Amino acid sequence: MFAALYAPSIPAAALIEVARAFTPRFEQIGSVVLLDASGLSRLFGTAQELGEHLRDALEKQSPGDSLARIAIASTQTAVTLLALGQPGLTVVVPGKEAIALAPLSVNVLDAFEKLSEPSAFAPAHPADLRRDRAPDSQGAGWHHPRTTHQASRGKRRAPENRLLEILTKWGIRTLGALTALSGPEIHERLGERGAYWQSLARGMDARPMVPWVDEVPFEAALELEWPIEGLEPLSFVLARLLEPLSERLERADRGAAVIYTSLRLTSRTVYTRTLQLPAPMRDPKTLRTLILLDLESHPPDAPIDIVRVFIEPTPAKVLQWTLLERAQPAPEQVTTLTARLTALMGAGHVGSPVLVDTWRPGSFTMSDFRSQIADQLKKSDGSIEKQSAHRPSAIDQQSEISDLTSSDCARLRSALRRFRFPIPTRVIVQEGRPVRVQTDRQGFSSGAIVQAAGPWRTSGEWWNTPSPGSNASAPSAALGSSVPSTSARRATADKSVAWDRDEWDVAMTDGTIYRLVVERGVGQWFLEGVID
Amino acid sequence: MAARAALEALLRDRKLDRTLTSTLPERLGDDAVAAIGIDTLDRAVAGRYGPQDYTAGGLPRGQVSEVIGPASSGRTSLAWAALAAATRRGESVALIDTFDRFDPPTADACGIRLSRLLWVRGQAVSKTAVAIDPAWLPGVRAVNGPGTFMERVIDRAIKALNLVVQSRVCTLVVIDLIDVPAHALRRLPASTWFRIERAIEGSDTAVLILSAIPVARSAGGRSIQLGGETQRVMWKGDHERTRRVAGVRSRASIAAARWSHVQCVDVETIVPNAV
Repeated sequence: MFAALYAPSIPAAALIEVARAFTPRFEQIGSVVLLDASGLSRLFGTAQELGEHLRDALEKQSPGDSLARIAIASTQTAVTLLALGQPGLTVVVPGKEAIALAPLSVNVLDAFEKLSEPSAFAPAHPADLRRDRAPDSQGAGWHHPRTTHQASRGKRRAPENRLLEILTKWGIRTLGALTALSGPEIHERLGERGAYWQSLARGMDARPMVPWVDEVPFEAALELEWPIEGLEPLSFVLARLLEPLSERLERADRGAAVIYTSLRLTSRTVYTRTLQLPAPMRDPKTLRTLILLDLESHPPDAPIDIVRVFIEPTPAKVLQWTLLERAQPAPEQVTTLTARLTALMGAGHVGSPVLVDTWRPGSFTMSDFRSQIADQLKKSDGSIEKQSAHRPSAIDQQSEISDLTSSDCARLRSALRRFRFPIPTRVIVQEGRPVRVQTDRQGFSSGAIVQAAGPWRTSGEWWNTPSPGSNASAPSAALGSSVPSTSARRATADKSVAWDRDEWDVAMTDGTIYRLVVERGVGQWFLEGVID
Repeated sequence: MAARAALEALLRDRKLDRTLTSTLPERLGDDAVAAIGIDTLDRAVAGRYGPQDYTAGGLPRGQVSEVIGPASSGRTSLAWAALAAATRRGESVALIDTFDRFDPPTADACGIRLSRLLWVRGQAVSKTAVAIDPAWLPGVRAVNGPGTFMERVIDRAIKALNLVVQSRVCTLVVIDLIDVPAHALRRLPASTWFRIERAIEGSDTAVLILSAIPVARSAGGRSIQLGGETQRVMWKGDHERTRRVAGVRSRASIAAARWSHVQCVDVETIVPNAV
C-alpha cells in the first residue's frame, strides 16, 4: 500500500516532515512525496482513515489550502498519477487502479515523466529539514541513494513531448483510452516508450520504491570519567568510537576521506589532528591504527578529557580489476604500512621518488606511495612523461640492453650509488687531471687513480641567483684539506640554488669507480658516488 | 590415514606444513620466481642442477636471496635490474635504503618505474651533525661503535624490512646493506634473518639482501657473488679527452643449497651515455 502527497503551495521540506511523521520509508520524486503505507493500518486504521490523517497533517502545514492532493493505492505509479491528476483525497481499492486511473488525462503521464527529470529531482535543502543541525555540517542532510548509484535512471525526454502530440492526434485523451489500445500495436507504432506509457496508465510499477535515508554527520565523541595519558588507553577509546562509525559508513556505502581527531586536554585546550586518507576506507582497525600512528608522531602535551572523531565521508570507490593482472595491494594495507614506516623513519623518508624537470644531478622529490593509483594517473597526466622527456626513455634503454644480451654475457645498466652528503676528499691533480684520491672516511678506498675520464662540466640555476664567486678556473693544483672549508660547506648546503661543477669518473687500483666532483666556485673536491 | 590427516592438521596449525611436508603444491613457472629480466642471468639463477624444474628463471619467491661483491662489481646494478623487471610486470617493490644511497634519475634510466617503488630512506651518515635529521640524533653517543648512530640506522632498516615483508604489499623487497661495516653486520643476531624468512615463507615476496659480505640466505634462496679476479673496468675512447667509462666486466657465481655446482656467468654493467 502506498500513499502520495502533492501540494504545490507547501514547500518540499514541509511535505517531507509530514511524511516523516507517518513513516520512515518515504521517497521524494520531484514535488510528490511517496509514502510506503504498509503496516500503518494498526496505527491509523483503514486506508480512508489514513488519508484523512494525512489531510489533517497537510492542513496544519498550510491551513485552508485547497490544492493539497492525497492518493492511496496499492502501486506507486497509481498513487503518483492520482495525486497529480485528481484533487482532494483519493483512496483506491487494491486491484482497481486501472479503473481509478481511466478518467485521468494523458497529460499526467507527461507530468509524471517530468518528475523524474534532474531539475525536478533536487532534494530539499538540508537546512530546511534539520534546523537543529550544526551550521558547519554542510554535507549533512537527506540524500537519495540513487544520486550515488548507477540506478539513477531518469528517462531521457524530448524537449517537446512528441509522444503526447501523437496520442493527441490519435484522439487519445484519457488513460482509459490508452489502456484500451492493443499492447503489441502500441509497441509497434510508438516503441518501448509507448509501451511504458501504457503500463503506467494501467498503474503498473516499473521499479521498486527507493526510500530516502537520513544522513547524519559521521561523528562520535566520548567524555572520559578520568583523564587518560598515553596511546594505549586511547586505543580502546578510539576502537569504541570507530566501530559504530565504521558500521554506519558501510550502511551508507561511504568511506572515510578525512578523519578529524579532536582531543580536549586537561589544560582546557583542544588538540586536533587531521588525517587525509589516500583512498576511501572504513575498516575500523585500519582507521584506529592510522590515528594512533599519527598521534604517536605528534602526541598531545596533556592528558585527554574528551575524545571526538569526525569523519568526512566520500562515496566508496569501486575499482574493476582484471583477472589477467597481478592483484594490487589494498589501499588500507598500503596506507597502514606507509604510516608505520613514517613513524619509524621520519617524515620525508618514506614514499616514491618523483623526477623533477631539471638537469641538476640527483634531483628528485618525494611523493606518497600509491602504486596502483599512480599508474592510473600516469595514463591521464602527461606531466610525468614531460618530466623525463629530456632523458632517454627507460624502455628504449631496456630494449637496448636486451639487444645486447644475445651473447652469453649478461649486460646490465650501471647504477650510481650517490652519497646524499658528498664526502670531502683530497685530490692531487697533475696536468689538469686527478691522479690520487685521499679520504679519511672508513670503507672508501684511497690511493692512486688508474684512469680518469672527464671533466664533464655542468652548471645551472645561475640565472636565478647572484654569481657564486666567479673565480671559474678549472682545478689545476693539488688541493688538500680533510675538513671542508666554510665556503665549501656553504656550497654543499646551498644545493637549492646554482651549481657549477666538473665531474670525473675515476678508476682506483682495486677496481672501484668513483664519481668525483669539484665545485668550481670554491675548488673543493667531493666524492659524489660510486658506479656499482 | 586419519592419523596422517591429524598430523598434517597439527603441522598446519603450527605453520610447519610448508617446512616439513609437501602438503602445498610447489609453485612452478613464472609465478615461482621474480625474474631479473636478463635471460642469461635468470637461467643461471634458476640453475640446471636444482631440485625444482623451473620453466622460468629468477629470484625464488618466498625466499631470502643475497647479492654480494666488492665495490663497482655490479651488485647494485643487478638489484636495480630485478627491481626494474618487477615494476615492468606491474608489481609493487620496496627498497630499504639503509644509508640513503639510491639515485632516482639513474634508477629511472635503468628502467625502474618509480611510481611503483616504495623507497624507505635511511639516514645518510655525515660527520657534520647539522646534516642529519634531528629525529635520528637523540640518544646517540657517537657515530661509530656499539649503541651508536650507525647501529640505530641499521636497526631501523631491519625494522623497516620487517614491516614491509609482514604487510605483503610488495613482491620484491631489496635491503641495501652495502655500506654497513662488516663488524656491525656480524653483530646482527641470526634470528633477525630467520624471522624474515618465516614472514615471507609461502608468500609472493622475494627478499634480496645487498651487501659487501655474505649475510644470510634462506634454504631455497640464492647467493649471487659478483666480482673476483675477473673484474675489470672497460673504457671507451682513444684520447684522454674523449675517454669515458664504458662499464665493468665481472663474473657472477651463483650458489644455492643442494646445488652440487656453482653456476657462473659473465656480467657486464654498461654506463649510460648520458652523464
